[in-house]
Amino acid sequence: MFNIQSKINKNLFNLFIFVFLISSCSSINVTEEVVYDGGISTVEASIREESSLDYETRAIFTNATVYFEFDKFNLNSKSLQTLKSAVAAMKDNSSIKITISGHADERGTREYNLALGQRRAESVRDYFAVNGINANRVTVKSYGEERPLSDGSDETSYAKNRRAEIN
Amino acid sequence: MKKYLLTLLLVAQPIFSELVLEITRGSDNPYSVALINFNGSNSAKYQVTSIVKNDLDRTGEFRILENNKLLSIPSSEEELNYSDFKLLGVDFIVMGSVAEEDISNIAATYKVFSVKTESQIRTSTVYGVPNKIRQLSHYISDGIYEEITGLQGVASTRLLYVTEERSKDRSLFKLIVADADGSNEQILLRSTEPIISPSWSPDSKQVAYVSFETGMAKVFTQYIATGKREIVLENQFQISSPSWSPNGKYLSLTMYQDGNAEIYILNLKNKNLTRLTNHFSIDTESSWSPNGSKVMFTSGRSGSPQLYEINLRKFNTMPKRVTFEGNYNAKGSYLPNGEGVIFVHRKNSSFQIALKYFNENFVRPLTNSKLDESPSISPNGNVIVYAISENGTGLLAGVTLSGARFRLPIQKGEVREPSWSGFLR
Repeated sequence: MFNIQSKINKNLFNLFIFVFLISSCSSINVTEEVVYDGGISTVEASIREESSLDYETRAIFTNATVYFEFDKFNLNSKSLQTLKSAVAAMKDNSSIKITISGHADERGTREYNLALGQRRAESVRDYFAVNGINANRVTVKSYGEERPLSDGSDETSYAKNRRAEIN
Repeated sequence: MKKYLLTLLLVAQPIFSELVLEITRGSDNPYSVALINFNGSNSAKYQVTSIVKNDLDRTGEFRILENNKLLSIPSSEEELNYSDFKLLGVDFIVMGSVAEEDISNIAATYKVFSVKTESQIRTSTVYGVPNKIRQLSHYISDGIYEEITGLQGVASTRLLYVTEERSKDRSLFKLIVADADGSNEQILLRSTEPIISPSWSPDSKQVAYVSFETGMAKVFTQYIATGKREIVLENQFQISSPSWSPNGKYLSLTMYQDGNAEIYILNLKNKNLTRLTNHFSIDTESSWSPNGSKVMFTSGRSGSPQLYEINLRKFNTMPKRVTFEGNYNAKGSYLPNGEGVIFVHRKNSSFQIALKYFNENFVRPLTNSKLDESPSISPNGNVIVYAISENGTGLLAGVTLSGARFRLPIQKGEVREPSWSGFLR
């Protein structure tokens, strides 16, 4: 009394996997299988070149970084002071275009922090917008918790990492 | 049936420099298995025995007795004296052999005997190639696990994760695939820009991830075997947090089209986008229910990150809040049976991995260190792998629902964001 079931799978190398389930009076499971091996390829991501922005223009904004509270994206009075001079510099030189990148500390999940970094960068963009800076001079992006300034796992380091950088 | 106790998992863990299985607490009533050293003409028999033992140990379901703990060591069924095993409380006996078929093929045959019924319950042969002994051994482990527990094993599955090695002024990021025990690592992608949020396609032939190589977050898909990859949507917006639908036809993702994180569903074939959320707060970290009818996501709409789900089968449905305990519940994913969700939960100042069953109104913490994140559940629903932070570096740890704990080998740099493949066997 045999009851044979067979399941056939085909992999990249055209190997077959047979599974025989044979139930007889003593009910022994009998199986045969071939180890699957699909192979793996490595890819090198194309690496971005440094942006060609000239360094003199850039230097004006090198220190324009504003900081935030945990899970918050509102600008405090110190941040507003910093941004005020950035706005002034942009009005003085209409050729300057800026990128605002938002960042988070390592606490919490990476994707939520990516979204939070974006909110922080957007807060800064909104400030530039209401102060008359044309939107096409401003690019916004987030690095979430992926580009910390400080490696420590303490509040001092976290505070340095919750930031938006303007350059 | 065995009862799983989730409340007894909270024990501190020391550091290990390589794969070490630390079973702080296994199942309350583990199966006792006599694993007799594999014999045969092939020298791989030693490696096979050792890998099978590790695989079975890591499930937390077994108490393994090797040759040195046994009263007699039969080399065939004829030599098997069941009373020697009954005395030791053994439930099952496993014996096997490894032989060369020819220069490029080896075959491992193993048998499982039940001490209770004093009979053979399984005989199996696995064919493999000599330089892939690990895979062959994992197949044996899964066959034994299956025979004894009735559940499909995960020793032959794979993990996907990201590593970062920092040097003075730049980092090197790698997307890596490895066996479920952390060995046999192979690099899928190397980049000097961050790589985050890796996940598997349902058939485990492709991966999706976020790469910053273009200067901002973009979602890519890549075939593991060929390395062929593509950017899923070409536009000027940041795109992140990809998750494949169970049928493989759609990718849910987060797009920052109006500056804010919103969830969309992308039809991979015709690239049509359907917007799923529309709220001024953050919506991200989508994942699909096992039957594809619901999408879970993290939203800040209540004022703090909480989990919500949307029923895709109902028209214009409102997201339903899933978590209420604490002020940080994020990155949820469904159990394979759809009965609950695992996620990152903040308790006081610690981030832990937690489980919530939909028919219960409380959260079950599964881990207890400071910065646990990125939980991913095995396809059989029995093991959760997650990232921990220790002495300033990241590594991977695991916990089984029956209470066994383990760690994966620490390798160079920081390891993070593990994602468990589907069944490959």
